[in-house]
Formats: sequence, C-alpha cells, structure tokens
Amino acid sequence: MGLDLKLLVSPRPIFTTELSSRVIAVDAYNTIYQFLSTIRGQTGELLTDNKGNITSHLSGLFYRNINLLAENLRLIYVFDGKPHHLKSKEIERRKRIKQEAVEKYQEAITEGRFEDARKFGQATSVLTQTMAEESKRILALLGIPVIQAQSEGEAAAAYLTKSDNAFCAASQDYDSILFGAKRLVRNLTISGKRKVPNRNLYLDIQPEIIKHVDVLDKMGLTHEQLVDIGILIGTDFNPEGVAGIGPKTALKLIREFGKLENIDKMKDKIVQIPYQDIRDIFLNPEVPKINNIEYTDVDYSNVVDFLCGEKDFSRERVTAALDRLKKSISSRNQSLENWF
Amino acid sequence: MTFSVSTNSPDEWKVVTSAISTLVDEATFEANVEGLLFRGMDPSHVALIDIHWPNSAFQKFQCNDSIKFGVRIDEFSKLIRRGDKKDTVEVSIGENSTLVIRIKNGYSREYKMRLIEGSSGSTPLPKLNFNSRVVLSSSTLDRVFSDIQVVSEYITLGSEQTKIVFTGKGDSGEANITLDQSSEGLEDIAVKESSSATYSLDYLSRMIKAIGSTGGSVIAEYSTKMPLRLEFRVANIGRIHFYLAPRVQD
Repeated sequence: MGLDLKLLVSPRPIFTTELSSRVIAVDAYNTIYQFLSTIRGQTGELLTDNKGNITSHLSGLFYRNINLLAENLRLIYVFDGKPHHLKSKEIERRKRIKQEAVEKYQEAITEGRFEDARKFGQATSVLTQTMAEESKRILALLGIPVIQAQSEGEAAAAYLTKSDNAFCAASQDYDSILFGAKRLVRNLTISGKRKVPNRNLYLDIQPEIIKHVDVLDKMGLTHEQLVDIGILIGTDFNPEGVAGIGPKTALKLIREFGKLENIDKMKDKIVQIPYQDIRDIFLNPEVPKINNIEYTDVDYSNVVDFLCGEKDFSRERVTAALDRLKKSISSRNQSLENWF
Repeated sequence: MTFSVSTNSPDEWKVVTSAISTLVDEATFEANVEGLLFRGMDPSHVALIDIHWPNSAFQKFQCNDSIKFGVRIDEFSKLIRRGDKKDTVEVSIGENSTLVIRIKNGYSREYKMRLIEGSSGSTPLPKLNFNSRVVLSSSTLDRVFSDIQVVSEYITLGSEQTKIVFTGKGDSGEANITLDQSSEGLEDIAVKESSSATYSLDYLSRMIKAIGSTGGSVIAEYSTKMPLRLEFRVANIGRIHFYLAPRVQD
C-alpha cells in the first residue's frame, strides 16, 4: 500500500537502457507481490506447476529479470525482515482486505463472473515463506545478489543508495523517498503493456525515476518536513494518517507551520500518533550488512533444471529467454570503471 | 567572472560538439585561464572523452577564473551549425546563466541559450599502460572501421612487432585487414608486447565520423583485453582523447 505521494512528486519517464550498468536495489517483497497480483490467468487464477504449487512469482522473477539483465542492469534484491511493531495495524488491515477479496473471488467464480474474479483475485495474493525461499533460489541461479534486511526492505534499499552502493531503489511505493532513497524507480519490473482493471484496455507502462533532491527542491522542504507530510497523509506505520488530510493539505500545513508539533489546530489528533517513533523509523533507518554483495554468472543449466524440471515451465520458452540473455552478455562492453 | 572565447570558424565547435554528442546529451565544460576542458562518459561508462582545448588555439580567449557550465549538447550544436565555414564564432557567458553565441560574417547573429546545472563531480581517467601504439591517418582508420562493419558489430585489434591486424566476425562471415609498414595510412607502429583486444564498432565509428573528418593522424594505444585510447590532434583545438572499454568476451 504505502504512502500516497503521487500528487507531490514529478517523476521523469526513463528507458531501462538509461539504467544500464547501474546498481539497482530492488524492494523484493514489493516486486514479488506485483508478480503475484498481475501474473494470473483469465479468471484471476495464479500460475501453478503440475502439483498445484503457485509459480507466478518465479515466472515474474525469471522473465522480468532476464530482460533487465540483458540490458545490463545490476540488480540487488532486498528482502524484508521482521516488520516494525508499529506496522502491525497496517498488516492487520491488509489481511482483512485479503480475506474479503478471497470471499468475493470465490463468490465471483461460483457465479461465473470471471471479470470480477480476475479483479478480486489480484487482491488475494499471499507471499508465503516457501515462495520467498524459492524466489531467493531463482535469484541466486540468475547471479543476482540478495540482501536480507533486519526490518523494512525499503529502508535497507534506501540506505544502499545513500551509501552509494546503489544508484537507485526500485519499488512501487513512495515510502523509499521517506526512507531517504536518493532516487526511486517505479514500474521497473512491470513496464510494458498492462491491463487496466475492470476495462478491456491495456496501457503502456514506462519506468519513471524520482529524485529525492528534486522532490525537496520542488516543494521547498527539508527531508524531516517531508516525513512529517507523510505522517499526516498516513504511512505504513500510521495507515489512517490524520482524517481528512490529503497530500495537498498536508503540504500546505507543513509549509505554513514547519513541523507537526506546531500545527496547533490539530494538536489533539497529532498527539494520538506515535509520530516521534515514526519519524525515527524514516530518519534513522537501519543500516544493512552490505559486505557480501557478489554478482555471479548465470547458472544456465540449473535455472533450466529448477524451472523446467521442478516447476514445469515450458523448456522452449525458458531456453529461448536464456539464449537471449547469453547473446546480450556476449556482446556487452566492459565498464571503464574497472580501470579507475 | 568573464568567459568569452572566439574562433575563426565554427568548425572547431562543430567537432567538439559532435564528438561529445556521441556520448552524452548534457555536457559540463570547465574553463580556466589556460583553456577549455571537457571530460565525460556515456551513461553506461563504456566510453570516455577528454578534450583539452588550450587558450592558444583560440583566436581570442578570455577567462579570469575557474568556471563550469552545462549545456544541452544538441541545442548548442544546432546553434553552432548555423555558422558557415568563414564565420567567426564568439561564445560567452551572459547574464542570468545564459550562453551567448555570436556568429559574424556579413551580418551578425546572436543566440542566447539557457545553461543547465552542470555535473558537480569530476570524472577520473582510467589508469592504463599501453603495450601497442599505432599511428594511422584518420581517413584510413575510418575506412578500416567501415570495412569491418560490413560483417561485424565489433572489431578485434591484433598487433605484432611490425603489423596490426583488424578482424571482425559476424553471422554472415569474417573480415580481415592487415596493415604493415608498407601499407598506406599506417604511419608508425611500436609494439612492446603483442596485443589483442576487441571493441564495439558502434562507438568507434561514431567517434571517428565526428572527429576524423578533420583529417590528421590518430594515435591508437592499447594492450591485451584493456581499454583503447585514441588520440586525435586537431588543428585549432588541441588534443582529444577517446577511451573505450573492451568487450566482455573476445
């Protein structure tokens, strides 16, 4: 879900080639959830192997990353660790939404409303421990390093950009900006044609980049003030925000009063939010262990064994994708940085 | 702060802008009392261009400070290209961070172009030792690149004591060109150690088309599986170094 900053930032569309040879810290859970909600059949059913185990996440991780690797993006996947205790409300809320969606989905299926089934199906996605393990396995076979965050993956990804270990963070959520990511790329793993929900319409989704410094410059804010705006609108750690306050009002209030404590007319509501703790989450996020970022070669034969042997992927399609990657790697130039 | 420089023709700026535009869209120039400098890499960090344009190469050079200014290179190039061969071109920094371009001959034109925020960081140069040094006429090198490009997207340079062999392989076949001291266009060759490395022809041919048109010689230096450096010495500009990283696989 995350924070609704859309109205306040002006992203610049980019082509993935512009990210060639850049290190990208990908928010793993966010990305895998995208795959689980979008890689579905006509009636919203997930892809499975012959035994009925879900494979949508593997399909997404494989085909998407192959394309990105072929463009020479250097990906790091950052997995969430233990959620902060303040996130439990948001997690509960998400669970509730999922349960409702599951009920509506089953209802739609029994009643033969397949278009509805597809819509509700998208909201039912659950990322299990097994899926996370399988995801790490396919990433390792593709030579993509994985970082395990202690808590929020987005915070760890943001840190990678702040410490110049990565060029940008990749996530659909704007929270990365609140965590201080220097740059955020959205739509990286979902670019291309994408179906508009409830309509028989496909849109071209292009990746876009948001620069942290531009966001602050444009609005004339400090990072601390941006976090306060987030808290007013609602973050994962206080999903309700302040009732009736949207992005525009929040911006106006912080511009006028400087910080949450100074907004006298809302004092009652604001004191109910543990805003000091939330500020702390965003302003002093965890520092992940990053001494083990290691890119390895793609393990072509084991990718085929895993996906086709164990997970019943089409051998033809997997081999064709791997061949495309091989060809791209063989025609690649080195970076001059190796000689600096 | 003053920055105002003149050349007796737009050609120098045309070479500089077209060379830079093969790598980047936005360029940050540096000027100081000694001359004008540019150094930049393409976004994928495969190629680097390093230009030293000393004050003596200008017809007039005024710069009393160390300054940096950024331009959108296609816009700049478009304006420069309005000049004909015998027009004098004056480039200066005007008020409100604009670049002023005056082209004079017969009548004078004045363009003002908005400067952009230049990059703050500085690009380092790769640290290299070259085992092979080959001096060629730029027209010969241009032709060699085109010869190989018919069949291949990349070119392998293989040097031995007194000769250099250019090869390319593609789906349709192979190309082989040998230049030795008897060949027209090979002006000098010095090989400390036989060297072989493969580079993208796309980068090379764009660069030689941009700079090679000015004639003169090109010094190509490289070592096995190491970056290539091309040195162009261009009249009224000075020297342009072009660095290119080798391909991942030979």
